[in-house]
Amino acid sequence: MIELRDVSLVVPASRRGDADRSLLTDVSLQLGERRICVIGANGSGKSTLLRLLNGLRLPTKGTVTASGFDTASQGRQVRTRVGFIFTDPLAQLVMSTPIEDVELSLRSLIKGRTQRGARAMELLEQRGLGLLAHQSIHDLSGGERQLVALTSVLAVEPQIIVADEPTTLLDLRNKLALRATFAALPQQIIYSTHDMDVAGDAERVIVVEAGCIVADGEPGMAIDHYERSMGARR
Amino acid sequence: MRSQLGSSHPGVLGLHVPGDGWLFRSPVGVKYILLLALVVPVLFFVTWPATLAALVAVLLLLATSGILPPRALRLGWMMWLILGMLAFFHLMTLDPVAAFVRPGNLLVAILAARMLTLTTSTPDLLDALVWVMRPLRLLGINPDQVALAVALMIRSIPYLLGSVDDARMAARARGLERNPARLLTPVMINAVAYAERSGEALVARGIGERALAD
Repeated sequence: MIELRDVSLVVPASRRGDADRSLLTDVSLQLGERRICVIGANGSGKSTLLRLLNGLRLPTKGTVTASGFDTASQGRQVRTRVGFIFTDPLAQLVMSTPIEDVELSLRSLIKGRTQRGARAMELLEQRGLGLLAHQSIHDLSGGERQLVALTSVLAVEPQIIVADEPTTLLDLRNKLALRATFAALPQQIIYSTHDMDVAGDAERVIVVEAGCIVADGEPGMAIDHYERSMGARR
Repeated sequence: MRSQLGSSHPGVLGLHVPGDGWLFRSPVGVKYILLLALVVPVLFFVTWPATLAALVAVLLLLATSGILPPRALRLGWMMWLILGMLAFFHLMTLDPVAAFVRPGNLLVAILAARMLTLTTSTPDLLDALVWVMRPLRLLGINPDQVALAVALMIRSIPYLLGSVDDARMAARARGLERNPARLLTPVMINAVAYAERSGEALVARGIGERALAD
C-alpha cells in the first residue's frame, strides 16, 4: 500500500522573475489495488507522481509512505520494497550485458559470485532471456531490454512495481508480451501510459491534469473523462 | 531498435563474452600483474624492439585464450585514427622510431587493458576492486561505491564513443560535419544527460545507497 497525504511538489523557476512551477498540487491518494494506471497528457504530472512513489522525487509539502515507510526519511527501505521501471530501459540498465545487470541487483542479496551468477541466469531464463544473457544490452530489441530491466527489478523481490510508460517505446508484439508479463506478476503494479488499451488492463485509473487528480475510479469512467478532456470524444 | 540515448561503440575495451581459455579462468589479480608486466617495461625501455616484443606478447597471450588478432585489434575507427595521427606526426618530424614506438606503446596499453576486460566480467572486476580497496574503509571511503564508480566508468566508454558517432552523423545530415563545435556540444550534453540518467537509475534501484557487498 502506498499513501500520499496532501502532497505538493513545487520547483523553482528556471529564470529569475518567473513564478515557481507547481508540478503537483494537494494530491491525496491511497494506492491499494493490484493494478493501478495513471493517465494524462504530456507534462500533466504523471511521471512526477510516479517518481514520488519510490522516493526518486520528494514532495515539497505533504508525505508519501510505501508499506509504512516515509520516502523522505526512509528512502532505502522504500526502494527495497518499491521497484521502478523507466520508459527507456537503457536509462536503467547500468551494466553492459543482461547477466551483469541482474547480478548487480543481486549483490546485496547473494554474497557468493558463483551462486549470484547462477541465480541471475536462472532469473533471465525464467523470462526467456537465457540465450541473450551475455549479449551487449545495445544489441537487444526494445522489448528484450524492457524485459531485462524488469528482471533486474524483480531480482530483489519488491512488493510493488512502479512503471513509467513501460510500453511507449515498444512495438505491438513487445507491448502485448509485456502486458502478458505484467498480468502474470503477483506484485502490485502502478504504471502510467498513453495507450488506452493498456490503461484498460488496470482495476483503477487515475487521471492527472495540470498536477491535480481530476478523475479516479474504474477504467471505463476515468478513460472516458480523459478522452473527453482531450477532445477525442464529445 | 536504436536507443533514444544513442548507439554504443564496441571498440577500445570491448565486451566480455564468456570463454574457456586460460585467461578467462585466471584470477583477476593474475591478469592485473600481466597487464603491468606488459605496460610498465615499455615505458622505461623506449626502443622499437621492446615495443614490438610487448605487442607480440600481448597478442600471443590473447590468442592462446581464443581471442585471435582480428577480434583483439577491433578497437574502433577512432582509436586507429588517433594511433595513425600519432605515427604520422612523428614521421613528419623525421623520427621513424618514435613513429612506431609512441603509437605502439599506446596500442600495447590498450591491448593489455582489453586482455583484462575481454576476459573478465564486470561483476568479477567489481569484486576484485572492492577487495583491493578494502583499506580505504580506514579513511571513511566506501570501497563498494568506488568500485561501482569504476565499473560505471568502464561501461560508459562505449556509450560516449557511440554518442560521438551519433553526433557526427547528425552533423553530416545537416552539412555541418566540418564544424567541431557542432560535434562537441551535443556530445557533452549527451554525456551529462547520460550521467544524470545513470544516477537516477542507481537511486531507483537502491544501488549505491546500500553497501554492495554487505
